[in-house]
Amino acid sequence: MRRHLPHYLMIAPFLILFGAFFLYPILSGLVYSFFEWNAVSLGDFVGFANYFEIWDSRDFGRAASNLLVYISLTVPLGITTAFLLALLVDSFTGRWANFFRSAYFLPVALPAFLAATIWRWIYAPNLGLLNMVLGWFGIPSVNFLNDTSTMIYALIAVDIWVSAGFNMVIILAGLKNIPKELYEAARLDGASKLQQTLFVTIPMLGPVLFFVLTYGVISAMQVFDTPWLLTGSSFISYGGRRNALLFPVMDMMGRAFGSVSFGQAAAYGFMLTIVIVLITLVMFAIRSRLSRQ
Amino acid sequence: MKISVSATAVTTPRKVRAVSIWLVAKWIAAFLVALIAILPIWWMINVVFSVPGEPVSINPRLYPTSLGDGWAKISMVLTETEYFRAYLISLLYALLTITGVLIFGSMAAFEFALFEFPGKRTFFAIVMLSLMVPTAVTIIPTYLLTAQLGWLNTMQGLVVPGLSSAFGLFLLVQFMRSIPRDMIEAARLDGAGHFQIYWHVVIPLSKNALITLAILTFIQTWGNYMWPLIISSDPQMYTVGQVVGLFNSPLSHHTVDIVMTANLLAAIPPLVFFLIFQRKIVEGVAMSGTKG
Amino acid sequence: MTSTKVRRTILGGISAVAVVALTAPSSAQSLDYWVYSDFGQGEAGALQEEFIAEFISEHPDVTIQMSGRGDDDLTAGQIAGAASGTLPDVFMNGLAMGSTLVDVGALANLYDKWMAMPEEYRAQFDPAAVERCMASETELYCLPYTGYGTLLFRNLDVLEASGVDTSTPPATWAEWLEQMQAVSDAGYFAIPDQTLIFNSVAEMYGMVGDNSTWGIDWDTRTTRIDPDVMAQVLEMFVDLSEINSGTSRNDQSTRDLFISGQLAFHTIGPWANPTYEQAAEAGNLNYDFVLMPGIEEGKHGGIQNYEFIGVAPGENEDIAWEFAAYVAGENQMARWASLLSRYNSNAAAMADPEVASLPLIERSVESVKYAMDVQPPYFVEAVPNCHNAIVVDYSAATADGEFSPREGAEEMIAELNDCLAD
Repeated sequence: MRRHLPHYLMIAPFLILFGAFFLYPILSGLVYSFFEWNAVSLGDFVGFANYFEIWDSRDFGRAASNLLVYISLTVPLGITTAFLLALLVDSFTGRWANFFRSAYFLPVALPAFLAATIWRWIYAPNLGLLNMVLGWFGIPSVNFLNDTSTMIYALIAVDIWVSAGFNMVIILAGLKNIPKELYEAARLDGASKLQQTLFVTIPMLGPVLFFVLTYGVISAMQVFDTPWLLTGSSFISYGGRRNALLFPVMDMMGRAFGSVSFGQAAAYGFMLTIVIVLITLVMFAIRSRLSRQ
Repeated sequence: MKISVSATAVTTPRKVRAVSIWLVAKWIAAFLVALIAILPIWWMINVVFSVPGEPVSINPRLYPTSLGDGWAKISMVLTETEYFRAYLISLLYALLTITGVLIFGSMAAFEFALFEFPGKRTFFAIVMLSLMVPTAVTIIPTYLLTAQLGWLNTMQGLVVPGLSSAFGLFLLVQFMRSIPRDMIEAARLDGAGHFQIYWHVVIPLSKNALITLAILTFIQTWGNYMWPLIISSDPQMYTVGQVVGLFNSPLSHHTVDIVMTANLLAAIPPLVFFLIFQRKIVEGVAMSGTKG
Repeated sequence: MTSTKVRRTILGGISAVAVVALTAPSSAQSLDYWVYSDFGQGEAGALQEEFIAEFISEHPDVTIQMSGRGDDDLTAGQIAGAASGTLPDVFMNGLAMGSTLVDVGALANLYDKWMAMPEEYRAQFDPAAVERCMASETELYCLPYTGYGTLLFRNLDVLEASGVDTSTPPATWAEWLEQMQAVSDAGYFAIPDQTLIFNSVAEMYGMVGDNSTWGIDWDTRTTRIDPDVMAQVLEMFVDLSEINSGTSRNDQSTRDLFISGQLAFHTIGPWANPTYEQAAEAGNLNYDFVLMPGIEEGKHGGIQNYEFIGVAPGENEDIAWEFAAYVAGENQMARWASLLSRYNSNAAAMADPEVASLPLIERSVESVKYAMDVQPPYFVEAVPNCHNAIVVDYSAATADGEFSPREGAEEMIAELNDCLAD
C-alpha cells in the first residue's frame, strides 16, 4: 500500500472533484428519478412511474423518432463532409493549405450559442441571407425553420457548419500519418486515385474515423443548444413548429424547468445515458470484431 | 473519372487539359467552402455596420455600409450593459478553469498513463464512462450541491464543478502513453522523486497536449451558457454569454442589428484568440484525434 | 422525508466536509430584485433605479440590487433559487408561471399584508386583476404589475399599396380577411403565421370565443375549449395558411418584415411599438395600431396578460413586500406609463388624465376590456407542458390540411383532456 501511496496522492484531487461534481450528482439524480420531485421538496417514492410516464408521453415518441432521423443523417453527412474537406485541404500545400484549413476551422472557434443565433437570421424567410442568395437564382423564399419538411435539414446544415472544421482537422492529421510508401505501392499496382482513397486512405484512417464517428454519435445523442436556439424555444414551448425539432435533451429540460418535474427529467436523463452507453459499447464491439478480421 | 486519369498522367502533354480542369474545379471548390465557412460571420459584421431598418432589397449587407451606425450600436450595447465587466468575468472563469483542468488533469493522467497500481483500471473506466453522460443530466444535482456549499454567485461556484474534465484526462492520458518509459526510469536512476519526474520530465514533454487542452477548454468555457445562467444570478457575476442572453430573449424589444451587435462582441475575443494562435490551435486539435 | 434530509444522506463522505465549512451568508436588509431584461435596460432601467433610490431614501438601511434577465432565464433562475433556498426577494414573472412558482415555494402568500394596506391603496387596482393573483379567498400571491392587451399593428403603406381603405380598421373577421387577401394579391404578406405560438392562437380564438370557453376546468381536469368555437378558429387558420409570412408573432424577423414594408398586419403587445416608432421617425414606416376585430361587429379578439410582482417567503419578506407595493403603486406606475407609453395593471395610474391620453395606453386600456385571458384560471395548478403544445400542434396541423377544422378541433380537445387527466 505504501508503495502506491504517491500514485493515489496524485490522482486524489482529480478523483475527489470528480466524485463530488460528477458521481454524486449522477447518483443522486438516479435516486431522484424514482421520486416525485420538484427540486424543492421531495415527494412520494413512485418506483418506475416517472420512466413509464415518459415512455407513454406523446413528446417522447416524437423526440425519439426525430433523434433517429437526425443521427442517421447528421453523423454520416458530417463525417463525409469532413473527410472530403480533409482530402481537399490535403491536396494543397504551403500557405494555401494553411489558409483553407484555418478558414474551415473558423466556425469551431465561435462560442456555441453564436452559430445558432447567426443561422436563425440567415434562414429567415424573405430577408435572410440564404433566401436572398436563392432569390438571385429566382428561387422563391423557403421558410427553412418553420416548414416541417425543411427544419431538420436546416439543423443538420448548421451542425455540419459548426463541426466539419473540427473533424476535418483530426482527419487531416490522420492523413499525414499514412506512410507515403503505401500510395507508392498502390500506384505501382495500377490503382487509380479513387481506388487509392478507397483501399489505402480509408482503411488506414480506421482508428481516426472511429474516433470521429463515436464522438459524433455521442454528441448527436445529446443535441440541445442548436435546435433550441434555432426554434426560439423557451421552457414552456419548445421543439419548433409541430415539434419537428424536438429532441430528448430539449424534452428533458422542458420537463425540468417548464413543468418542474425534476424527477421525470432525472429519469429521462438516465434513460438517455443508458442508451448512449449501450450504443457506444456496440460500436466498440463492432470495431474490435472488424479489426480482428 | 477525370480524376483518376489526371493523377496518373501528369507528365503526358495530351492530358494537360484534364489536369487544369481538375485544378480549377479544386480551387473553386476550396474557395466556395471557405466562403460558406466565413460568410455568416462576415454577414453578421455587416449587419452591425449598417443603417438599422434598411430593407434587404436596398442593402443586402454584403459589405459594411455605415461605420458610424456600427460604432453607435457597439457603444450602446457596451454602455447599456456591463459588457466590460462580463468580459473580465468570462476571462477569469476561462483562465481559472484552464489552470485547474491542466493541473488536476495532468497529475491524474501522469499516473493513469505511466504507472500500475491497484484500482487504476476501475477508476479510469468510471471516468471514461462519464464522457457518455449528457451534461444536462447532472446539472440540477450539481447545482444543488454548489448551492449547499454556499457557492452561488461566486467564482469558485462557476469554476470548481468544471475542473474534473474527463475529456481532458482522456486526452492527456492518450498523449502521455507515448512517452518512453526509459526516460522515466533514467530520471528515477538519477534520483528524481515521483513528483519531480512528473514536474521536470513528463510535464515539459506534454507541452503540446497541455496547450491543446487549454485551447479546447477556453473555447468550451467561453461558450458555456447554462451553468453560469443558473449559478450566478447576480448581474455583477454575469458572463458574456449571459449578457448576450439579455438580447437574445424572444420577447426582447431589440432589433436584429442590436442583437447581432451583442453577439458579435461575444465572438470577438475567441476570434482574435483564434487568429493569433490558429496554427497551434489547429495542430493541437489534430493531435487530440489521432492520439485518441 | 424532506429533501434536505435525503440530500444530506446521499451526500456522503465526499462533500460533507465542505458543506459544513461553508454556508450562504445572508444580510437581512439587502434585497434582490429581478426584472425582465428590457425593464432593466435603457430609460426603463433608469426609471426603475429611480424608484429604488426613492425607496431607499425612505428606508436608509436597505440596499436593493436590480438584475434584468431574459424570460427563460428569469424562470429558470427562480426555480433554481427555490431549489437551493436562494430566491430573489422581489421578482417579476408572467401570470402563467404563477402556479408553478407557488408549487416550488417561491411566492409568499401576501394576503394579510395586502389587507393591511390602506383602503385607498387597494382601490388603485382593478379588482379583477387582483383576483387573478389569488388562489383562494385568503391566498394572494402577487400584485398586478405591468401588462398588455393585444394590439393590431397596421402597416398603412402596405395597405394603401394594396388598395385597402385604411380610414377605418376592419370591424369584422370577414372584412379583415378580405383586406388580407387584397394585401396578398398585391404581393405582400398579410399577417404572421398565427399557428406558431400559443399566444397567437389564443389571440385568434379570442375573436370568436371568450373566457367562458377557454382555459382549463381544474375540477374535472378537462379543457374548457368549445369544439364549435375552435373549429371556427381553425377555419381561420386554413384561410390564412397561404397568405401568412411564415414567421411567428414574436420573431424578430416578423418585425423586420413589418418595418421593411412587406407585412401588413401584426398582432402583438405594445412592446413592439418602440421599434416601429423608431422606424417611423426615420421615415421608413407609416403605421398605426387598432383593436383586433372579432367574428362579428362589437366583438374584439386578442388576449390580455400581465406580469406580476411577487415576494419570496423568508426573513426579508416584510421589507420586500413594502418595496413591491411601492413600485406597483399609482405614483410610480403613472410615471412608468407616461415615460414608456406602456399599459400597466394599476387602474388608478391608467385613469390619470395625462397617462390616459397617450394613444398607446388609450388603445391598450380599450383592448384589455375585450381581450381574453391567456390561460385562465391562474394560481390553481401548474399547466402541464403538453397543454400548450397540443393547442399549437393541432392548429398548425389543421392549417397544413392534415385535418378538417372540425376534426382538428375534436382531436385537439380529446388530446387536451388526455394530457390534463394525468
